[in-house]
Amino acid sequence: MISARPIVRRALLPIVGIALAVAAWEATVLGYQLPAIVLPSPKAVVTALRELLVTRAFWRDVGVSLYEFIAGYLLGALGGIAVGVLMGEWRVFRMMATPVVESLRFVVPFAWIPLTILWFGTAFTGKILLVAYAVFFVMVVSTTRAIAQVEPTLSRVGTMLGMGRWRLALQVHLRAAAPTIASAARAAAAIGWIAVVAAEYVGASAGLGLMITNAASSLATPVVIAGMIVIGAIGAGVSALIGWLSRARLDYR
Amino acid sequence: MSPGGSRVTAWILGGAGALAALVAWTLLSYALASGGGVINRLPDPLTVARELVRYAGGDLVRDLLFSLRVFALGWLLGATCATLAGLALGRVAVLGSTFLPIVEAIRPVSSIAWVPLSIVWFGFGLTSKVFLVALAVFLVVIVYAVDGSRRVPADLARTATMLGMNGWQRFRSLILPGTLAEVLIGSRVSLMAGWGTVIVAELVAADFGLGAHLIAVEQSYNVPAVIATMICFGLTGYLMNAGFSVLERALMPWRRDDVGALR
Repeated sequence: MISARPIVRRALLPIVGIALAVAAWEATVLGYQLPAIVLPSPKAVVTALRELLVTRAFWRDVGVSLYEFIAGYLLGALGGIAVGVLMGEWRVFRMMATPVVESLRFVVPFAWIPLTILWFGTAFTGKILLVAYAVFFVMVVSTTRAIAQVEPTLSRVGTMLGMGRWRLALQVHLRAAAPTIASAARAAAAIGWIAVVAAEYVGASAGLGLMITNAASSLATPVVIAGMIVIGAIGAGVSALIGWLSRARLDYR
Repeated sequence: MSPGGSRVTAWILGGAGALAALVAWTLLSYALASGGGVINRLPDPLTVARELVRYAGGDLVRDLLFSLRVFALGWLLGATCATLAGLALGRVAVLGSTFLPIVEAIRPVSSIAWVPLSIVWFGFGLTSKVFLVALAVFLVVIVYAVDGSRRVPADLARTATMLGMNGWQRFRSLILPGTLAEVLIGSRVSLMAGWGTVIVAELVAADFGLGAHLIAVEQSYNVPAVIATMICFGLTGYLMNAGFSVLERALMPWRRDDVGALR
């Protein structure tokens, strides 16, 4: 009994839960005779998803969104870590930059969407910069904090070994802070990905966000839900990838 | 934590940093004024400030109240549902292992991705935005609620057993306070997610509110007004966060160190 219970709890009950949810969904559609515009049946969504996966336009949308995300993410993450290291290591710079970082941090990326459209139109540049902005502040704040929390003994050991200030910063502090930075990088990816989608709602010529708003305005609700599933799956996939990379590379803890 | 002298230094250097940023902005605005480049127009800080004052004397209060009402309704709804669901899923093992995987499956689909569907379901009015904010807050707070309902300190549990508490007493004086404390923290974490959702919902399905104003001035190419509205969004977010930190400290004084470390 003791050996059977964890299996039941871990494998069987989640399946029961998902089956219950799908059944409730199906029952709602059938019971209230809902038209597919309001709530399509699970089967209709699966069909829509399958049809999407073979169209070329869909893959173009995925490609555009992913390109905007990856370019912006790399820009924002590298810039954010660099500024975060500077802020963590250099007290004067930290004190000068803190008010600026803190006040911009509260202007959430979504509020920048209209301005990026005025400045860059529907081009990729606007979205790339938007993602970079979203990722940048998460990385600056967490890198600064992670560097400040590095074990002081490590610094003393480094100094004793004759390391200079910046070698100490890059080879000791940054490495010690890396696991914390990696988990922030994962959180930042989720924010950056959703910033791309939101920006594409408001002004874009291609991309997943545009795809689902177009589907919504032509009342193709199955396609909207299928698109949401794709957006969620890519978000979860990116997050899992970064988690896997950081576990594989930073396992020295 | 920091002695008085370094606080003065922080103020001076912080002021210098902010001033440097403003000077850089002003110079950039003059450099770009002659046109060219991708950026069509960047107004200088003074123009933006003038626009901010003009907006504050006009429709700002009406727009802000509308956005805040959406936010408050959605946030209350989301936090309440998350607390109830968190207690049920956290304390009843069968419910937890049955339904938590579903919550985990929905969580990566950010509330932002629900915007088009919510418009199809609830139209352009208040309901669709309240739904979106509630969803955003729910998805964050549920994690904290489940965690809080499960993590009863062992010594407190032993004390409760020793005092001979029955199930209801245990729930009321041990599990519920622990859960509510975590919910409060989750609520603050969810502030920004909820506020961001208000912005996107209003940008896409605009009738009233700060986001609707932002889209309106964007469509009339009024860059100073766009930046002024962005500042309003930032200030409101900042004030909400600061207010909530004060509340958190007043309600949970024993958490002071944790809260300080988070900032």
